[in-house]
Amino acid sequence: MVVEMVFLAPFLTGLIAFFLPRTLGRPLLPLTGVFHLMLSVMLWVKRPSPLFPGYFEVTPEGLLSLIVISLLFFLVSIYAMGYLRESTIRSENIFNGSMLLFLSTMTMVTLSDHIMVMWIAIEATTLSSAPLIFTYRSKASLEATWKYVLVCSVGIAMALLGSVLITIAMDIGKVNVPVSFSALTLNARQLDPLWLKAAFVFILVGYGTKMGLCPMHTWLPDAHSEAPSPASALLSGVLLNCAYLGIFKTNKIMVAAGLGDFSGTILMVFGLMSIIAAATFILKQTEYKRMLAYSSIENMGIIAFGTGIGGPGVYGALLCLIHHSLIKSSLFLTSGNILLGYGTRLIESTGSLARRMPKTFVAFFGGFAAISGFPPFGIFIGELFIILGAFKSGHYSAAGIFIFSMCVVFAGFAKQVMIISFDDKSSRDKILEKQDMIWPQYTLLLTSVFLCFWMPDTLYRTIVEAVTSIGGGF
Amino acid sequence: MIYSVDTILSLVLLSILFSLGSSRLTVLFKVIAFQGVVVSIVPLIIGGREFGWGDITFTLATMTVRGIVIPFCIYFAIKKATIETKFRPIVGYNASMMGGLIFIVMAAVVGGKLHLPAVSEGKLLFPAAVTLLVAGMFLLMARRNAIAMVLGYIMMENGIYLVGTTFSVQARHIVEFGILLDILAGVMIMAVILQNIKQAFDDMDTARLRTLKE
Repeated sequence: MVVEMVFLAPFLTGLIAFFLPRTLGRPLLPLTGVFHLMLSVMLWVKRPSPLFPGYFEVTPEGLLSLIVISLLFFLVSIYAMGYLRESTIRSENIFNGSMLLFLSTMTMVTLSDHIMVMWIAIEATTLSSAPLIFTYRSKASLEATWKYVLVCSVGIAMALLGSVLITIAMDIGKVNVPVSFSALTLNARQLDPLWLKAAFVFILVGYGTKMGLCPMHTWLPDAHSEAPSPASALLSGVLLNCAYLGIFKTNKIMVAAGLGDFSGTILMVFGLMSIIAAATFILKQTEYKRMLAYSSIENMGIIAFGTGIGGPGVYGALLCLIHHSLIKSSLFLTSGNILLGYGTRLIESTGSLARRMPKTFVAFFGGFAAISGFPPFGIFIGELFIILGAFKSGHYSAAGIFIFSMCVVFAGFAKQVMIISFDDKSSRDKILEKQDMIWPQYTLLLTSVFLCFWMPDTLYRTIVEAVTSIGGGF
Repeated sequence: MIYSVDTILSLVLLSILFSLGSSRLTVLFKVIAFQGVVVSIVPLIIGGREFGWGDITFTLATMTVRGIVIPFCIYFAIKKATIETKFRPIVGYNASMMGGLIFIVMAAVVGGKLHLPAVSEGKLLFPAAVTLLVAGMFLLMARRNAIAMVLGYIMMENGIYLVGTTFSVQARHIVEFGILLDILAGVMIMAVILQNIKQAFDDMDTARLRTLKE
């Protein structure tokens, strides 16, 4: 088995899917999903060496992201079968093909080791997901796609500049190794610190745009609300993680070069800004998908903040990363059910969800409790570790802002969820709920609960390996 | 001593000023194509580097993509009538040009103080690369026309390419080619979006794209 196969397989099926009619193209999604999940598990167990070392590498943080992507895509693809059946999408072959190419490019991000290959892969995720946002062909979705492609491309261009600056730091420090994250981490001390710092700032701004960190987040609520729900689930659940991976790996070099304080402070500032921005905007949201999108910005802020704090915070950040993917994608899939049931994205036009769609309600309310950081879901433990890390390192005021903003987000979120779930509207008729559009969400939420009580030893060790590589731990 | 590279790069700097001061999109297209060709050739002609057939092929490919395919891709995506219309900027043309001029001078001063190892010749390399980058970003922000914004993005990418290939000796063709492919695909997708914007709004003014704003 070769490492590269994991992203080449969905790439090929994606290309094929563009030319298949809907009857054949649709089942290709879960089929590829199963195959990809199998390959990812094999990769996790065997950890083979890549065909092109220096360009690709199996790293603990990459494996974590990969397994989440794979599991999520599989469940989302099953949901998508039902979603495509219920909704009317023109040119479904483009949707199917783009979904598979999107999976392929995201997989490539998790496995890339060369700095420029990482950039190529992340830019490719933008390009392959753009058609997904434009699926409904409305004016609003056109605007969202335009914003998404332009803002992300320009942002990621900054990351390219940052990557180039790293090579300049290599030239000045007379470091002659492959331009890969692993080689540079080993030789980080010889890199020119000034240029390395500049490179980190550009890379953080670049990949931070894609990750949805404030103030570069402007594209995110539009794109996530305009895309069809299965695509939103992937965008929010795993695409943001991919961008974070780019920042994480660069931060690894910074920590190895002894510049961890510098990068940590910047990450904390961006993280806090994102949480505050999300708290401000979530209060006045009128659409539930946009509300979920702002919650994603909040969670990315939490993750960046935790990474910046260091110590136990990094462990908390990675836990939040995994559980946010599981929970937020479940919420976005549930929002798809609400959209199909009520035919609107406006919160005020919904209501009585508990009565009209009881199964969807359970998934929605469970997801809300989970994302707000209630036990027994994993986000609770993740956030707890981040707060502990903040206190341990003496960042009391930052921890104060962090906790306060999270309370505001909870208040805003809770208000809207109550309206959607219990607001008494004239119609009380039940809306039909399909089985295959319910259990993927339940599976995602249960996985989050399950991981909280019993984490497999290999998973725990991989997380700890990733955490210690950027100087975190207990 | 004056190097031949500096002669071409001074033309690039002039072309940037020209694009900042022009109200016509056709001018902008020509400028982008010219810059695309120049940034592809410069790495090959700055002295002291040996080059083989691989380098020449790569340069030719880059030149075709950056100088011909990318600008034409956008050009053909939009009907000619739309291109020829003048557009209202957010920042005036004279002010943009003046700002550009000041920026070039500043970049030249800063560039002289930075001691970059790979830049031993060509005094204008740093100012040209940085000005391309910043002028591109400026066009993105200060123009409301969607086509001008895309062209600004391409200009910015040209600037980054110039930084990458001339200041650093680490470039590998295979990787550079991947980047080029990504940018090409990105521009093609932008062209499709521009086409759709034209159809849906019958205008390229991004002020109309405001429905999702909060």
